[in-house]
Amino acid sequence: MKIGIVNYSIGNVGSVHRAFDFYGYDVSLVSDPKDLDRFDLIVLAGVGNFPVAVDRLKTLHFWDALNEAALIKKKAILGICLGMQLFGEGSEEDGETQGFGWIKGRVEKMKGEGLRVPHMGWNQVSVSDESFFRGVRARSFYFMHSYRFVPQEKGDVLVTTLYGDLTIASGLRKENILGVQFHPEKSQGDGLRFLKNVVEGLA
Amino acid sequence: MISKRIIPLFLLSGLRLVKGSQFTSRIDVGDPLSQAMIYDAQGADEIICVDIDAADEGRTIVPELIEKMITECRLPVAAGGGIRNVKDAHRCFAAGADKIVVNTHGVLNPALVGELAKEFGTQSVVVSLDVKKDPGGEYRPYVFSGKQRVEADLDVLLKQLIGLGAGEIILTAIDREGRLKGFDVELYHWARSRIDVPLIASGGAGSYDDLAALFHQSDCDGAAVGTMLFLRDYDIVRIKAYLTGKKVAVRDA
Repeated sequence: MKIGIVNYSIGNVGSVHRAFDFYGYDVSLVSDPKDLDRFDLIVLAGVGNFPVAVDRLKTLHFWDALNEAALIKKKAILGICLGMQLFGEGSEEDGETQGFGWIKGRVEKMKGEGLRVPHMGWNQVSVSDESFFRGVRARSFYFMHSYRFVPQEKGDVLVTTLYGDLTIASGLRKENILGVQFHPEKSQGDGLRFLKNVVEGLA
Repeated sequence: MISKRIIPLFLLSGLRLVKGSQFTSRIDVGDPLSQAMIYDAQGADEIICVDIDAADEGRTIVPELIEKMITECRLPVAAGGGIRNVKDAHRCFAAGADKIVVNTHGVLNPALVGELAKEFGTQSVVVSLDVKKDPGGEYRPYVFSGKQRVEADLDVLLKQLIGLGAGEIILTAIDREGRLKGFDVELYHWARSRIDVPLIASGGAGSYDDLAALFHQSDCDGAAVGTMLFLRDYDIVRIKAYLTGKKVAVRDA
């Protein structure tokens, strides 16, 4: 079992690396898209700006390689935070930018009467499929985002989180592709257990 | 529902953890790395690290320290102290910081907040403001660790910085800092009604009831805790158990 974290110099992938290290998994940063083939689970992490992330992935030639890994080779892919948002068809962040389009839906700024944005801190998740949440007791994870994924197909939604009056799709799954809006690598014991379940259940 | 955050606030001088009172008379309280590991294990909701000598000494918080911390801890770490441009912030993020905190340089040069938000997103940019009441009863911002007063209206400054991209505000009442006598609840109640981003209260936490009073009376999103943890016999587990009993929505530690 080899885990590869896409290294596209956005946000902080070090924490993700160290979280997988905790269980002694074989995990490395992937800087050359040609190497993606060697991994059983590909992790797309990152915090930051949607168009900047798309631009970096394209400049570093990860874009086509990731499309091939996700759609043709059907590799297990985990997206975290911005990584999950990139799975969408597009985002309105700083203009309109196209995403991978692996999961139908768009990324929009969070809005609501009296809603404090960014959504920052520990919030509860409700889960429709327990398989990735075995042993995850408190069901609380760290969130840190101003934009949210608005999915088109209800069937793709694995996890939801209530923030104010807004129900956020905080976890999405479509076949080999799994994404979460929260940060398991920053969510203490529950986050580590979630990642372990993903390694064992998705790849 | 989103939880109220209990946040150990680490004031650093280089590689040491220090603690003062009203921004002066400072003492060494230990090794930041081992303290961070303890609070992580106790269920702290995140850690804020600010090097209070960095701006004065023309350097930034030490990136190697952040790196060690995020290697050993599984919680979010915000880092600040002396960050004056995007390049300084890059070094902190590369070391593993989840958010960066700007204070002096963000107040003196608000455009910096805009540049940081554009590069890293508003969710990663925290602005920390130190304030003190003037004789007329108005809150005034201070920079350089409380040494220099800024002629700005706090309300106007807050809105300007948030408009530019501050995603979270830490508001420190200088007169309360390190005194263990309770938060300036009036300040936070006022600030909470003026801004629409998360607000962290800092300065004055000294007992369980100070924290309960803050959350009951101000609806702040988090409380920074310093001296109470470092120099008194409190821990995160017992703080959270007490607050849960007082119907404050904290996360189970």
